[in-house]
Amino acid sequence: MFEASTLEERRRYYREEWNVKELPDFIKKDLNKREFGFDHLGNGPNDRYRIFKTQDMIRRFMRYRSPFAAYCSIAFYNKPWQRGDWLKSELVFDVDAKDLPIRSCNCEGVCNICLNEARQIVLLILDTLRGDLGLKDIHMIYSGRGYHIRVLDEEVMTFDSEVRSQVLKYVSGAEAPKNKYVLENEVDQKPYELEHFLIPFGYPAVFTSRVKHSIMHITGKEKIENINTKLLKDIIKYRNLVEKGEWGLFKNKIGPIRYKNFVESMSQLNMGIVDAKVSIDLKRILRLPTSLHSKVSMKCMEVKNIENFDPLKEAVPKFVMERKDY
Amino acid sequence: MVSLSFLNPLSSEGEEIVREKGSLDHISDINAELLMVVRESESQKISNDSYIPQSYADLAVKRVEWYARKKNDKKYNHNDYAFLLNPEITEFDVISFYIAAQSVGIKFKPNSRETRLMIEAQGKLVEERLEKIPSYQRKEIVDNLLNQLVFEDNIPWTSIAELLGSKKIRLADLILDQGEVILEKDDFMDRFDEKIIGRPSEKMYDLLIGERIKIMIITRMIMQNTENYIKRVHDMASKIEPHPSLLQIADQITEKINESISYYSSSGGGFGGDIKASELVHEAFPPCIQKTIEGVGSGNRNDAIVLLLTSFISYARLYPSVFRNDISMKISDIDADLQITINEILPLIYDAADRCTPPLFEDDPQEKLNITAKLGFGVHTIPELKNEGESKWYTPMSCEKIKIHLSSLCKPDATCKNIGNPLSYYNRKRWELRKSGGKSKTNEDTKNDE
Repeated sequence: MFEASTLEERRRYYREEWNVKELPDFIKKDLNKREFGFDHLGNGPNDRYRIFKTQDMIRRFMRYRSPFAAYCSIAFYNKPWQRGDWLKSELVFDVDAKDLPIRSCNCEGVCNICLNEARQIVLLILDTLRGDLGLKDIHMIYSGRGYHIRVLDEEVMTFDSEVRSQVLKYVSGAEAPKNKYVLENEVDQKPYELEHFLIPFGYPAVFTSRVKHSIMHITGKEKIENINTKLLKDIIKYRNLVEKGEWGLFKNKIGPIRYKNFVESMSQLNMGIVDAKVSIDLKRILRLPTSLHSKVSMKCMEVKNIENFDPLKEAVPKFVMERKDY
Repeated sequence: MVSLSFLNPLSSEGEEIVREKGSLDHISDINAELLMVVRESESQKISNDSYIPQSYADLAVKRVEWYARKKNDKKYNHNDYAFLLNPEITEFDVISFYIAAQSVGIKFKPNSRETRLMIEAQGKLVEERLEKIPSYQRKEIVDNLLNQLVFEDNIPWTSIAELLGSKKIRLADLILDQGEVILEKDDFMDRFDEKIIGRPSEKMYDLLIGERIKIMIITRMIMQNTENYIKRVHDMASKIEPHPSLLQIADQITEKINESISYYSSSGGGFGGDIKASELVHEAFPPCIQKTIEGVGSGNRNDAIVLLLTSFISYARLYPSVFRNDISMKISDIDADLQITINEILPLIYDAADRCTPPLFEDDPQEKLNITAKLGFGVHTIPELKNEGESKWYTPMSCEKIKIHLSSLCKPDATCKNIGNPLSYYNRKRWELRKSGGKSKTNEDTKNDE
């Protein structure tokens, strides 16, 4: 499991198992407006600017070239062969299990545990995208080592990088929420203190859920900026309060000054749960759903039911199951 | 009731006023009615003629001058400009808004300091004018303005993308639900009342949203619309011969802005007062810049040199107070013959580029052109005065951006705490170094010496 595939295995995959008809509809639609890229030798996607006018052209290409990795652009162009005349781009969030800032497994690459933690984060982000941001045309892709969340609602596809960056920070909880509020008719008085956990909706609630996820998965071995060993130990010691939703007590145990620093540190840490570069890049290419992630021998695939998705059951190609050590 | 065009000159009411009375032929003529409104404005200083705008043209200049002085001049006195907050001035003000916006749009580029000040002045005027309206009237005016600016009952957050992109509003400051920005109390109660435990929901609404968020959206939208209007004028200016009076007014606006900056420069202030152009203090460079100067590996190399170092070094050397002053300048405003730029700034950047692995220009010689462009001199091999303004003089990227784009360079030290930009770090550290008595010693070094 998670071992690289050989050229022979790739050939078997693309000739016997892979079917062009299984490409997700959102890829098949406007296929000729996307740029395709390939990695043939495992050195990165250096065969770029490719276009396919029909599904049959992709079918033939994949069958005969059996690439190490296949990608397609999140962008739509009038001239995809030169990445020219940009029209729009999907809004993308890349949650890579191997790069999560907090992983309870501490494994070297990816394993069942961190893949599951990445899936839980995807569920949280999905909830925010649908609930707070009201987005509907969302597709989840298992990438082989994590998940891509691809949003195709028309109104977000023309956003520039700055707007995408704001959305990214919102959904990942990467801004320390305000905790002091003033009433209009009391501007000269002391502001009201309202911590994020006292506001059960909007951005404060998003932040609370992301921080809760991190607290529940901390192992104590992490190095988190501005959180020393003593504070890390206390967070673990009192996290049962967070689990029960008793945030006020948790804050008391941590202490108000340390809690303020904790909130700041967690907002910085949350920035790492999604690969920010992917979200703000309008011309990114992403692994093609249905293609093979040859480094780990897993299928990159669209996930219809993320709540119950188990990559080790659903994304394993036949050739891996037939390996002697499987 | 205050007219909505007093707050939003780009409204249909405002456009109507301009259509009826906005001829450009007599905008510099003395206007007796305007003089009367100004003189009768509450607490307006009238002891000197220079306080009083006598014509539409004067008023157009005063609108920008007011804001530039308010920001930069410690001797600023509100009573010099009290007429700007008098609702009786509405008609004159609307016409002068268009005159100022057109003058700026014709003469200057959309990212010039004149354009920025014009936009910011309009935003500040909206805020101050709303503040002065009695609260019993304000609610209705705010709602009417919002209806005028936003056509739907609830604003989809996606419809304010332009404001989000220009960072005029943070998404995290808004209460969102099902894709909508929640603004009305009834709506808030319908959606969240059941979720709120242990606190009165109405008070929660007042704290989290209230008029504050509505006013923020209104102000930012009017600023955005002003920006868009100036851009449109700028685009049109190349096709239509501009009215000579507008060009004269644009020059007067520049003159007034320069005056206000010189007030500021002579008054000092901030971290020890002196954050004017002066020799670079390398010891005050933040860790990300130190690392960049030492040379960067291929992954981050181009952005580190072209985007981060170029802007940092040029601003640190020539205009370290850019964020404090908040007025955009051109390099030649400070380095008139470009001697500092060519003999000090560029060599430092080029040397750092050579220390990269592999050296930047060996791999990407065209990046020299990009460096020139980031200094505001367009895509050329070296900066030359004739090309200035072809591109924008990039300000240093924020710490937040560095964390995203160049995360491997971000190794914060104690000073980085509460700092949002490498240039702010530089100013603070330079001040600390000077305060501690040694230009070349940091606090830590001093301790070790002891």
